[in-house]
Formats: sequence, C-alpha cells, structure tokens
Amino acid sequence: MPKPAKHWIYRHTPNARICHWIMVLSFFYLLYSGIMIFLHFPELYWGKVGFQGYPAIFKLEDWGISWELAEELGDRRWGRNYHYMFAWIFLINGLIYILWNGWQKKFYRKMLPTKQELSPPHLKSELKRHMKFRAAEGSAAAKYNVLQKLTYLIVLFILFPFMIISGFAQMPAFTAISPELIDMFGGRQTARTLHVICSLLLVLFVVVHLVQMVVTGVLNQLRGMITGKYEITSESSEASS
Amino acid sequence: MSKQQKQQRPEEFTLTRRKLISRFGALGGILLTGCYTDFYRPPVIRGGLMGVADTLTMASQRMLMSNQQLVQEHDISEITENFPVWNQSDPDDEEYQRLKAGNYVDWRLPVSGLVNNPISLSLEDLKRMPSRTQTTMHICEQGWSAIAQWTGAPLLSVLQAAGGIKPEARYIMIDAYGGWYEGYDMFDVVHPQTILAYGMNGKDLPLGNGAPVRLRVERHCGYKQLKFIKSIQVVASVEGFGRGTGGLNSDFGFHWYAGA
Repeated sequence: MPKPAKHWIYRHTPNARICHWIMVLSFFYLLYSGIMIFLHFPELYWGKVGFQGYPAIFKLEDWGISWELAEELGDRRWGRNYHYMFAWIFLINGLIYILWNGWQKKFYRKMLPTKQELSPPHLKSELKRHMKFRAAEGSAAAKYNVLQKLTYLIVLFILFPFMIISGFAQMPAFTAISPELIDMFGGRQTARTLHVICSLLLVLFVVVHLVQMVVTGVLNQLRGMITGKYEITSESSEASS
Repeated sequence: MSKQQKQQRPEEFTLTRRKLISRFGALGGILLTGCYTDFYRPPVIRGGLMGVADTLTMASQRMLMSNQQLVQEHDISEITENFPVWNQSDPDDEEYQRLKAGNYVDWRLPVSGLVNNPISLSLEDLKRMPSRTQTTMHICEQGWSAIAQWTGAPLLSVLQAAGGIKPEARYIMIDAYGGWYEGYDMFDVVHPQTILAYGMNGKDLPLGNGAPVRLRVERHCGYKQLKFIKSIQVVASVEGFGRGTGGLNSDFGFHWYAGA
C-alpha cells in the first residue's frame, strides 16, 4: 500500500505567530487577574448602580462560595495592577497585529469567507463535519474553513473590542470623557456584567479552540503556531501514486 | 461654577490652565514627551512594565479629559437609597471623637504649605463660601457604584481663600482622621466638580460618609474620595509623606491615579 504523501506548508506568518503567543500570555493573565478582581466583589448587577445589599442578578454566594471566602481567594490589588498591565500589552499587541496585516491582501484572503463558502450547502456540510469531530484533509486543511474564519472574525472584531469598550465604560474617568458610552451600555453595572459575560464567551472560544487542536493534531498545530511549518497529508497524491 | 467665580481665579490657576493647554500642542511627541509632564504621570512611577502601564493609562485618560469637561450629573430621582458606607465609618481617633461629640463646632480645616495666606476654616466658613451641588456616580475600585447628591465648596475656592498657591506648588496633600491621607495634582484641583463636600442628599454629611467634610474628586475611583478631612497642605513634592508615593493607597500598592 502506498504511503500517504505528506508535504509542508507555511501556515502562519511570523507576525501572526508572535502576536498569537503574546495574546495567549496576556489573555491568561487578564482572565486570572479578572477573576481575582471579581472575587473581591462577587456579585453582578444590572443598570447604573449596584452594591452589597442591592438586588443582584448573580451572587457567588448562591453557588456555595461565601462573600468572605471569595474575598480571601481574591487579591484585587494584585489583580487590578496586572489586569491593567496586560490590558495594555493585549491592546498594543492587537493593534500591531491589525496594522501589520491590515495592508496585506493575503490577510483578507486568509480571513474572509468567500461567497461559495457562505452558501447554505457548504455551511451545512462544514457544520456536519465539525459535529463529527472530523478534521479537514488535503488542500482543505491548508486553509481556514468557513466556520473557523467566522469564529476568528467574531472574536477579533466583535468580542475583543467589546471587552475593551465595556472595560472603559466601568472607569470613573469615562463619566467625564464619554458618559454616552456608559449610557450606551445602560449603566456602569450593566457594562461590568456584560464584561464578565463576554469574558465567558472568550473562555468558551478558547475551550473550543483547544478541542479543535486535539481533533486536528496537537503536535502539528503547535509546531505550526511556533515554527510556522504545518504538515499536510494529501489524499489526491496518495491515490495517484 | 458661575462666570463670576471663573473670573476670580487667581493668576496661578490661569497659568496652570494655560500651561495645561499649551502642553497639548506637543502633537506627535505627546506619548514620549507627554509622559514627563506633570499631568500625565503620577508623582512616583513604579518600576517595570507596571509603571509603563500606569503612565499610559494616566496619560491617555488625561489627554481625553484635557478640556476639563464635567462628569455626568444625574437626575435627583436617581439618587441611591442606602448609599454604602465603605472603609472606615467612624475614625478611631481621640481628637475626632471629641469633635464629633461637639457636633464639629470646633472642627477646623488648616490650609497650609505653598499658599500665599495660610488659613484655618471652620465648617461655617466653608458653608459661607460659594457652593456647588452635584448629583454624581460614585464608582468603587472594587466594583460597586451608587449615585448621591453632594454639596460643598470647590477646592479651588478654598485655595483662593488662602490667597492662591505659589508657583512651585504641584500637589495637594489632604490628611484625614484615622490616619488616611491622599495626594492630588492641580489637574484635579482646578476641576469645577472637585469639592469639599459637607452635604449629602440635601442633609449634613452623615458620619459613615465622612462627616463633617469629605472630598469629591469625581473623575476618580472611590479610594481617592477622602472622608473625614483633617487638613490640607499644598506642596511641591510628595516626598516625606508616608512611604513617599503620594498617598496611602499608592503606598499600599494601588495606582496613584484612580481614573481607573
């Protein structure tokens, strides 16, 4: 039986790889420090105001973690300092990524779904393939698939900006800089709650992202994101040889 | 603040304002050079990346607040019932307890340091000064927020009453009963909503909220809104106060600038 033909492609550009790993580090610290900050005030409210004793829409107490215990687990001074530090790293890293790639045509070819990909039959078949946890093969594995493209676009251009803007809407300086922004969210506490919900969506993204890596081959994917080299097993050449 | 009060601004403050505005002309170099001007940086910058982040946060927000726009004021119908009492609620301080027992009649606010005419104001003196009432949102660094109406004398008027500040003045150090102290720069002092509040929601400032007088410096988190005010000192440098970072909160490791 002929061996399946394998070949290498350069899947990720150096800037994508560098920005990716800086983002991984800053995301991890943002999440961890965010949890530290949250534990020091483990309730969520809706609207403009909210404080201990005010009707909350979420209480950690209801989940068996008392206010005192949460406070003990959290470290808001550490959390706050690191949250801001990594927020700046995250923001600058993201801006560099966008500026570095935004003027290159290949970035749009890589990231934007084509008309054909957005057609219902194609979307349906891709969805089916994902449900069966089957990795793409051959030339299809060299590119991002349509669901992957859409997910990355949502994360990069909707969820990330939303995290930043809902962060701004919690800052007292923005009651002077742009009270409209806070009103747009429906109040400071709503912005805080949505900030937390959006962070959960990002955690969900990371979980799915990691599961996909396992499905498609951890080593190959990790090597791809570290060195850029990605191994493709080609079916067509297997058949012809 | 009324037009008349604006005209009464002493020379030092007009200069401060003008200096402030001229600094924004720096354009391209703003991020590089801007960080080294007074209003873009805390008095003491922490080491490492954290100090860089602190300065970026402060400089970018101060740039966006460069025309000293007012913070949002809310309708009185939005005032929060049961405004939280956070942090110290009744200073464990002999002198304070004596003043409290005397209904603060003997309370005096010394305004000293780099002012032209040091004074000591009683609560009545403060109340006789032009007042400002504002309904604003209090945002705590921990995450809570509440709305209250505050009445008080603009900090700027208090400094005017002390003859204005000397040219070398850079910071205002405010001491509070119970050992708390905090520093502020002139960017916050000249803001019209920076007041020494003696009234809350139309009544005298309650004990838990900092009686008889607390600071409202609206563009900052709660930890800058000093309660139980004891004295004001105008200084050229924050050296010699506590651990020398310019406030008790920053001595503890919080960012000196609390715009967030």
